Amino acid sequence: MKEGLRQSMALLHTWTGLLLGWLLFAMFATGTSAYFQDEITRWMQPEITGSADPVASAEGAVRFLQRTAPDAVSWYISPPNSRSATTQVYWQPGDGKKPARRGETSAVLDQSGKEVSTRETRGGFFLYRFHFDLHYMPVIWARYLVGVAAMFMLVAILSGIITHKKIFTDFFMLRFGKGQRSWLDAHNVTAVIALPFHLMITFTGLVTLAVLYMPWGIAANYAQTSTYQEAVFGKTEEVARSGQPAPLAALGPVMQSASAHWGGKRVGYLRVTNPGDTTAMISVTRAPEGAIGSRGEEVTFNGVTGKPVGQSMAKGAALATESVMIGLHAGRFAEYGLRWLYFLSGLGGTIMVGSGLVLWTVKRRTKLPDPSRPHFGFRLVEKLNIATIAGFPAGIAAYFLANRLLPLDLAERADHEINSLFLTWLAVFVWALVRPSARAWPEMLGLVAVLFAAVPLVNAFTTARGLPASLLAGDWLFVSFDLVMLALAAGFAKGAHKATRKRVEAPRTTRRKPQEAMTA
Amino acid sequence: MAKSAANIGGNRRGIGRWNVAARIIAAIPANYLVTSLAAACLARLLAHGLSVNPAEASVTATLLSFAIFATIALFAFGLRSVTRLWLWLTVTAAICGGILWLSLSMGERL
Repeated sequence: MKEGLRQSMALLHTWTGLLLGWLLFAMFATGTSAYFQDEITRWMQPEITGSADPVASAEGAVRFLQRTAPDAVSWYISPPNSRSATTQVYWQPGDGKKPARRGETSAVLDQSGKEVSTRETRGGFFLYRFHFDLHYMPVIWARYLVGVAAMFMLVAILSGIITHKKIFTDFFMLRFGKGQRSWLDAHNVTAVIALPFHLMITFTGLVTLAVLYMPWGIAANYAQTSTYQEAVFGKTEEVARSGQPAPLAALGPVMQSASAHWGGKRVGYLRVTNPGDTTAMISVTRAPEGAIGSRGEEVTFNGVTGKPVGQSMAKGAALATESVMIGLHAGRFAEYGLRWLYFLSGLGGTIMVGSGLVLWTVKRRTKLPDPSRPHFGFRLVEKLNIATIAGFPAGIAAYFLANRLLPLDLAERADHEINSLFLTWLAVFVWALVRPSARAWPEMLGLVAVLFAAVPLVNAFTTARGLPASLLAGDWLFVSFDLVMLALAAGFAKGAHKATRKRVEAPRTTRRKPQEAMTA
Repeated sequence: MAKSAANIGGNRRGIGRWNVAARIIAAIPANYLVTSLAAACLARLLAHGLSVNPAEASVTATLLSFAIFATIALFAFGLRSVTRLWLWLTVTAAICGGILWLSLSMGERL
């Protein structure tokens, strides 16, 4: 009976891992990169250097917004934090006007409140959003799809754990030679070493969009979701403007007062409603780096007098748990040491998914009736594996290269950067379809290595912030980015090398087999 | 793909295509229904039976629902008998649904 259980769990592990494995690979890869989304954005905006003072920046932002959107319903201001040097602002236009384009109600500012002149890019933020919103499709469908994939992942991990011992003793060790073992080793090592991370990240990932996936717990107690939201986040009533102008309170003292409220923790962002009116309010939210919980505390101030008028409720156990789970997933609280650990664990997860996908074909190849002519399902998995495991990283490298190579004044430049990612991915997919898989693997893995290696080179030629210059300047962000690119290039080059060697060995073993059969 | 899954299952354990189909239906749509009922039922019980703050009760149920879903999915393939599996699911759904119906008929939602 126990054997039966392990076998059915192995089956479950195999199929839940495979069916959405390609999507999971892309989710893991972009999710991993999102731990450094601010740093990626800074690399993709090489014109911006140095750091900025949050209070001066917030006051600069107010000057910008008073010029640009004095009659807005609300302003949102994210002053620079320890990882960024610019202020992000966006606003909700007054009298119900809907903005035609995203760019029309947002801006990136420097400390003095001037719009920064930098190349148009969506930077690391795009990779972060792709992680759960995907691209070229409605966000709501993407989020459902991503949720299904995450649940498959959770079941794959749990069934993998139940199967685990059996995998080691029975399935592989006895049946396979060394060539295939290395894939299994890659899968097991990355899975087992970071197992708590994989479990945590998958479960908390589901929790980040829990209300979308499982609304029934809330629906059981609340007839309307808005009632629940008001109970949790407090009422956000829109107060109509009085029409009597009044100057906005200075943000500096407001930010200091809020900060003092949280024992000196930094301000994350500010929301100003009805700016320039007697009904103005300023809500200040704690910076995410201040605590693990993602739902930062908020203090509200009168927008004219600058006096505090209220603060968000203390959370009960369940809401606090939810907040900490989401915070653990996003890792916004993490200092650089922990951030690197997050990154490496995510990289391990990406390799775990990728090697698991390859294992599916490795395990089945020897059992095929005619290995030279595999059936359609096998070929499909093999082609999708090449397209994803080589194609998606190639796309990410192309995204970075496009950032440096596209003309700076190109119209809709940010979109073209994103298109470069998907066109490269598509090109690798087509290549995988056209070429025999045994050749396409080393060729495409080699291509990824070349593309990643090209990133620091192109960076050095197109900006003044190449690796030698950043080393001399002690610009560790740029140094680290270039070194990670080189490390990825080395990893993929090693993969390409292994794939080539296997191809050379393959004909030899097939030649030897008939001889062995004859001597036997 | 489900077809080849059935084949592999068939080869190893002598279970057929219909067996696998019944388990997949149990593991995904039926599972979602049972988990939703369980989450809703738990949210009601906590809020009205144990007087937990309703927002807290709802969030507790929502957080637990993912663990419940994953557990049922594992049982859908772990239990030997498909009949027993569906029996369990039906009984659980009936109990949770019954409690939910009773609770909703006794007290309004907020």
